[in-house]
Amino acid sequence: MLAALNRRFGYDERSAAILVFPVVAVLLVVAAYPILYSFWVSLHDIVLTRPLRRPFVGFDNYLRIFEDERFWLAVSRTTFYTVVTVAVTTLLAILVALLLNEAFPGQRLLAALLLVPWATPSVVNGLMWKWIYDPTYGLLNALLVQLGLLDRYRAWLGDPDLTLLLIANAAIWKQMPLAALLLIVTMKAIPDDLYRAAKVDGANVLQRFAHVTLPALRPGLMLVLVYETMISIRHFDLFLIMTQGGPGDASFVLSWLIYVETFRSLRFGTGAAMSYVLAMVTFLLSWAVIRWLGKRI
Amino acid sequence: MATITCEQLTKRYGSVVAVDRLDLTIQHGEFMVLLGPSGCGKTTTLNMIAGLEEISDGTLRFDAKDVTWQPPHQREVAMVFQSYALYPNKSVRENIAFPLALRRTPRAEIARAVQDVAEQLEISHLLDRRPSQLSGGQRQRVALGRAIVRKPSVFLMDEPLSNLDATLRVSMRSLIKHLHHRLRATFVYVTHDQAEAMTLADRIAVMRGGLVQQLDTPEGIYARPANTFVASFLGSPQINLVEGEIAPDGSFVRGALRLRLPEGAAAPGRAVMLGLRPEDVAPPGPGLVTLEARVDLVSPLGSETLLEVIAPGDVPLTLRVPKDWRAREGEVLALGLDPARLHLFDRATESRL
Amino acid sequence: MARAARPVAPRILRALLLTFFSALFVLYVAGPVAWLVSSSLQTEAQITAVPPNWLPPEMNLSNFDAILNAAEREVTYETRRQGDPATGGFLPSGAANLIPSLWNSLTVGLWVAALNLLLSVTAAYAIAVIDFRGRRATLYTVLATRVVPDIALIVPLFLVIRNLGLINTLGALVVTYLAITVPFTIFILISYFEGIPRDLYRAARIDGCGHWGALRHVYLPLSLPALVASLTFAFLTSWNEFVFALVLTQNVAAQTLPIVISGFVMDFTTSFSFVNAAGVIAIIPPVLMAVLFQRYIVSGLTAGAVKG
Repeated sequence: MLAALNRRFGYDERSAAILVFPVVAVLLVVAAYPILYSFWVSLHDIVLTRPLRRPFVGFDNYLRIFEDERFWLAVSRTTFYTVVTVAVTTLLAILVALLLNEAFPGQRLLAALLLVPWATPSVVNGLMWKWIYDPTYGLLNALLVQLGLLDRYRAWLGDPDLTLLLIANAAIWKQMPLAALLLIVTMKAIPDDLYRAAKVDGANVLQRFAHVTLPALRPGLMLVLVYETMISIRHFDLFLIMTQGGPGDASFVLSWLIYVETFRSLRFGTGAAMSYVLAMVTFLLSWAVIRWLGKRI
Repeated sequence: MATITCEQLTKRYGSVVAVDRLDLTIQHGEFMVLLGPSGCGKTTTLNMIAGLEEISDGTLRFDAKDVTWQPPHQREVAMVFQSYALYPNKSVRENIAFPLALRRTPRAEIARAVQDVAEQLEISHLLDRRPSQLSGGQRQRVALGRAIVRKPSVFLMDEPLSNLDATLRVSMRSLIKHLHHRLRATFVYVTHDQAEAMTLADRIAVMRGGLVQQLDTPEGIYARPANTFVASFLGSPQINLVEGEIAPDGSFVRGALRLRLPEGAAAPGRAVMLGLRPEDVAPPGPGLVTLEARVDLVSPLGSETLLEVIAPGDVPLTLRVPKDWRAREGEVLALGLDPARLHLFDRATESRL
Repeated sequence: MARAARPVAPRILRALLLTFFSALFVLYVAGPVAWLVSSSLQTEAQITAVPPNWLPPEMNLSNFDAILNAAEREVTYETRRQGDPATGGFLPSGAANLIPSLWNSLTVGLWVAALNLLLSVTAAYAIAVIDFRGRRATLYTVLATRVVPDIALIVPLFLVIRNLGLINTLGALVVTYLAITVPFTIFILISYFEGIPRDLYRAARIDGCGHWGALRHVYLPLSLPALVASLTFAFLTSWNEFVFALVLTQNVAAQTLPIVISGFVMDFTTSFSFVNAAGVIAIIPPVLMAVLFQRYIVSGLTAGAVKG
């Protein structure tokens, strides 16, 4: 009896249990429980201004979301924003990685500089770009007018056609470094022999990039694409700081909608349901990553 | 004092059985070598004895004590690894002292023990270096030092010489043998190198596919291999194995090749394999079976000569003969074989007859 | 036979291209921050000049002085009205909160960094080294919590924290940030631990170490870079985090720097120079840390990401 118990929970099991317990406890309380709780909330009609009546409504909140015009507007805004952000971030990251993968004097300095945007808090990132875009004192206006590209100052963020792109620009500035770092590490792992073989075979610089660098970069690129999508889809800080969803509904993205629904309208039920929809979408997107990361552990 | 007893010891990884119901008793003070190709289960067996791999089934005893579920740090065994496994962040001195320090041995005693071990292994001048500053041979001496400083009764060695070059391997081999004589502890030594096994072992357990093929003294295993696998695993060059049948008169036949065997060696009509060690040839003489073979290739090694010959029935044989044999390629050589030294195996079961 | 002359043209071309792209890179990456710093050193009158002063006409630390001494100045409607917008006298009402929020950020950051490491190291060791029943389940639980987006956690976490009565406490922030940083740190540490030769672990166990001993004598000393990276990463994440802090805190008792600064940004009467100076203050610790530990961050953040 004792031997059988010892067998199932030997020294390894007992040690592992002690070592893993704190993390599991924290994650259960701060991640797993809220996730489940959130699902419960999303099945109820909870409005904080009406605390006593919180009827169970099943999936009504979800149905209500899909009938909500604002939701579909937010979906299209989020999609546009995410696609632009991810595409430009990735392209810029490839260019930066190619540059920093070269050996030249000052390369280390540039690599250190790359960490500055990464370390910048997103709130500061937002206020910095808002200041640059400022309609009367902003750097962007001054620069373009001094260069003769613009004849008079413009209210950049007030232009509904430009708002999302300008916010995306701020996001790209902050996100590009990590993507570039990941790609540089992938590039460093490409065996030098491949380049030498390609040179001997007579490939020029562009051909070497297309036939050696790009294929070898694929795993890194995959990771960058999925990771950037995951975080761009749920950007919130920049929208709060720079536009608050405006002008009009020009930057009315999903995370902003969830924030407004929950903390301004205090409709927690629908807010939670929206969070769940967004979480599901992100989860499906990142399922690929899990499988991919899971395989190597 | 430690006699190691494995009873039905089994290790499974999922559906793969790495070690299959191993029964093995290693006497106190014995030098036991587990020999076999990679994947034969020898290292898994060692790890189970060490406690580094969980035992799926069976019982492991040190003397009378059941240690099956005892974690490694409570088993009081010492181990030496192929990769040396020296702690890179510790100096040589700290590496050797580590097992004692963990046991809260008084500092003065540790210093004395480390000094003593270092002198035995002639590494006193290296004590303040880091492992990265040592050569492979020096690192393995430090690893040995770390093992013997505790004076354990069981030493486990996992291919300790495989990363060393050939000359160093020979000198380390004798060092380990001296250590065994001096310490009189139980040694379990894993290797795929038959020369190490032959020179070091009191007994060898030849393993394949998780099973012990033969357990015997080196001489016994070499002289009476239990099956064709053991026969071909030991001996260099490999034993010659020839498929054939037993003729009604009791001799071995393969096409034009016919060899008289000792009385009653095998039943007539049986499908067999004949084993001939390359060195078991002599000039023809009384009591020997004579065999005429054409010399195909002569490879002098200096101390002796390797011959590749073609026996009747187009049977190729490799022979090892004294250097003064003057054989020339193309000529036909008369050889004398001692029937008592021929090995016979059943062709289907591959075991010795 | 004469040796062919080494061709010079391609090398010059390469140097030119590298210089050109390096300049572009510096302009793009450092330009915005440089402008932020430059405008934080100007008076309100100077930064509202048209065309702008690219560099401060003189070193002017009055904005930083205002931030450091905000607590001593009584900011009322009256003083604000007296303040001359042209001299940068417009202090937001929350200015006095800036320095306390800086301390809040620092406190939370240090706690998160320390606890994150403590929790992650033990769990990562167990998952990477010990072959225990439930190992894969634990691993997947940890990875899965990493994948759930923050936005899905905000509402329920707000409710949970509120029900626990922990709204507007630093402790609530610390625990929340642990949930964000721990899975990532565990992932980094696992890939680092797996790179440590298994024989060292086996040697330590044989020499008499239990699992604590092996962790202490083998894995910790040999993974210093990953540990530093984890500390840095956790601190930065905590320092920069905004959404959770926005929802979970209400006043100066627990508000962190990003929350207070975002308050300035949305207050239209605040002088630009003051906001910019606040931004510079918020940027200095993380950037300093990132550049200081650059080597570790790069190896840490990318550990395992591209290992195969």
